[in-house]
Amino acid sequence: MKFTFVENSWDDYWTKLPLTIQNRKGPALFNFHNSKEDLLLPFMAPYTLDTKALAKDYLGVPSHLKGGKLYYTDYGFMTAAMFYNKKLWKEAGLTDKDFPKTWDQFRAVAKKLTKTDAKGNITQAGYNFNGKYDAMIMGLNYQRGGLLYKADKKSINFDTPTTIASTKFLVDLYNLDKVGSKDFGTDANASFGQEQTAIVYNWGWFKNYLPDNFPKLEWGVFNLPSPYSDKAPFAYDRYNGESTFGVNKLAPADQQAVAQDVVKFFVTNEDVIRKWSMMFGCFPAKNSLRADPIVIGDPLTKELSKIIDRTIWPGVIPGPIETDLKATLQEVLYNGMTVEAAVTKTQKQLERDLKNIDFTSVEDQYTYFKDLPKYAK
Amino acid sequence: MSYTARPRPGRLRVNRGERTLRNTVVVSVLAFYAVFLVYPIIQAFIGSFHLWNPLKGQFHFIGWENYADALTEDLFWTSMTNNLVFTVSVVATRVGLALVIALAISRVKHLKSLFRTVYFLPVISSLIAVAFVWRLIYEPNVGLVNKTLALVGITGKNWLLDPDTALFAVVVMTVWKDLGYAVVLLLAGILNLSPEVFEAAAIDGASRGQVLRRITLPLLNPTVVFVVVTSLISYLQTFAQIFVMTNGGPGTKTYLTTYQIFNEAFVKYNFGSSSALSFLLFLVIMVLTWVQLRFSDAESRA
Repeated sequence: MKFTFVENSWDDYWTKLPLTIQNRKGPALFNFHNSKEDLLLPFMAPYTLDTKALAKDYLGVPSHLKGGKLYYTDYGFMTAAMFYNKKLWKEAGLTDKDFPKTWDQFRAVAKKLTKTDAKGNITQAGYNFNGKYDAMIMGLNYQRGGLLYKADKKSINFDTPTTIASTKFLVDLYNLDKVGSKDFGTDANASFGQEQTAIVYNWGWFKNYLPDNFPKLEWGVFNLPSPYSDKAPFAYDRYNGESTFGVNKLAPADQQAVAQDVVKFFVTNEDVIRKWSMMFGCFPAKNSLRADPIVIGDPLTKELSKIIDRTIWPGVIPGPIETDLKATLQEVLYNGMTVEAAVTKTQKQLERDLKNIDFTSVEDQYTYFKDLPKYAK
Repeated sequence: MSYTARPRPGRLRVNRGERTLRNTVVVSVLAFYAVFLVYPIIQAFIGSFHLWNPLKGQFHFIGWENYADALTEDLFWTSMTNNLVFTVSVVATRVGLALVIALAISRVKHLKSLFRTVYFLPVISSLIAVAFVWRLIYEPNVGLVNKTLALVGITGKNWLLDPDTALFAVVVMTVWKDLGYAVVLLLAGILNLSPEVFEAAAIDGASRGQVLRRITLPLLNPTVVFVVVTSLISYLQTFAQIFVMTNGGPGTKTYLTTYQIFNEAFVKYNFGSSSALSFLLFLVIMVLTWVQLRFSDAESRA
């Protein structure tokens, strides 16, 4: 057997792959991301492995079944955490006991980490979320029981009191608490790397971005705070599964057979799953690795292990959702729109952009979905 | 008796080899344009009447729905308005500045070539690279603009995210990049004007201002029209600098039609909608070009 590997950049890959597959020149086995399910699922062959047995070994398998068949599943769960600068943390007189558990505690910590010059201009942001609204808002909503989709599991549910409250919370962090500024750089990640920002929200991939781009930076991780001091949030944030491979149903039968074997090898090999999960900043979906010493020994996955069961997968997030959400907070912070108007505008744009995309919410498959009435208003 | 064929009077004698070469070149060029220009345009036009996602083989006829959606969408009118504001600002600034600079260079006795080269250097630089550099120049914390302003005690703005400055910050970058091309064209136009006309004007005692208003500018009109029309066509299709510098933000303040076209196709995979937007933009460009040419024709006749 000969394996030929072809590399492409991220954007090129998702254009070239479906076109080559359609023209029967595509690979038998390919890297897959669930945000591209709408494009690629029509060309994928179901796995031939025992899905019931797989469901016992892996979290999240039932949510990926389509008509009883499995075309991909998650090898790892990526979600969000707060990354902080250890040096700035220490300079502010903070210790390991000061990691905030609630957003009120977070605001106090962020204020301590903020520095300004004589004119009141921020020189060090305690917390910087410039460019991150689209990533943060869904998580903040979930914490308060705000689902992304309506009861029909198809319609977007953005223009809600929860979204307005979550957005106002973010605006207040800048305008009232003054822990950062909309004008303090345009890229929170670069600002964090340059040690101008003490805390930044990011997903797990950030743990590899930092040593690649800012190798001297000393950073740590703590979990997202909760809005509540007396109960857990409905979900700390959403997670997205990093997916197993796709098998090309238009490839020759012998190549498909080999691809299916590779999939089986991949999902049954603990070393590979551990390595891949750690490499991409994910918490392994394989149950046998949840208490693995290497996983628990990593600063990111150690934190995530405490809350991973309390993160929700809404289903595939169609591309336009993230794109349309980016503009919302900009409309408020830079263009002077009210939060209500900006959220309503985004809802209309989302409805337009999603009308021809096929997706179904799986929020109701979340383990703690039954607790929703305690949170949703 | 032998008969020798002679070419008809006034007709070039072309041998067989040259004829073959000529035909090969013409056919090749036609084939190239047919495949890479005409066919894609026809395909896009047909696609604009379809719900079209080639990445998943979707191609359903929906009539005028894409056009109706575009024309009833606020974002389309926002992007078109931004497009017109951007284009008019760039064209007016570029042509006005280029004219002043070209006139100045035309009066320089030495080192004309040096000035031409200096102004043309940004033109030959990569647009993407220049856009990235200017994005850094505008960066509110570490960018050159704000650092320079800070030296004289002025607090700079968040140029690319301030709704009042974002679009014009991109205008400034675009003018800086493309000014040299207009300078070179206008300078060539000025240097090609007949010296006898100016000598006659000097003899008649015309002042410099009168020479400029009554002779130089009217004679330069065809060149100016050419620069304006080509600029209009080009800047109504601006994309790269928006993609690199602002991504259409803050909000949709720098959303141009071309950026919307890109988003529809490569973010939302809605190629039918993207094609419809392309043809709407094409119509706008066509109308504006026609208006401009009629206007300049009327001026010339006057």
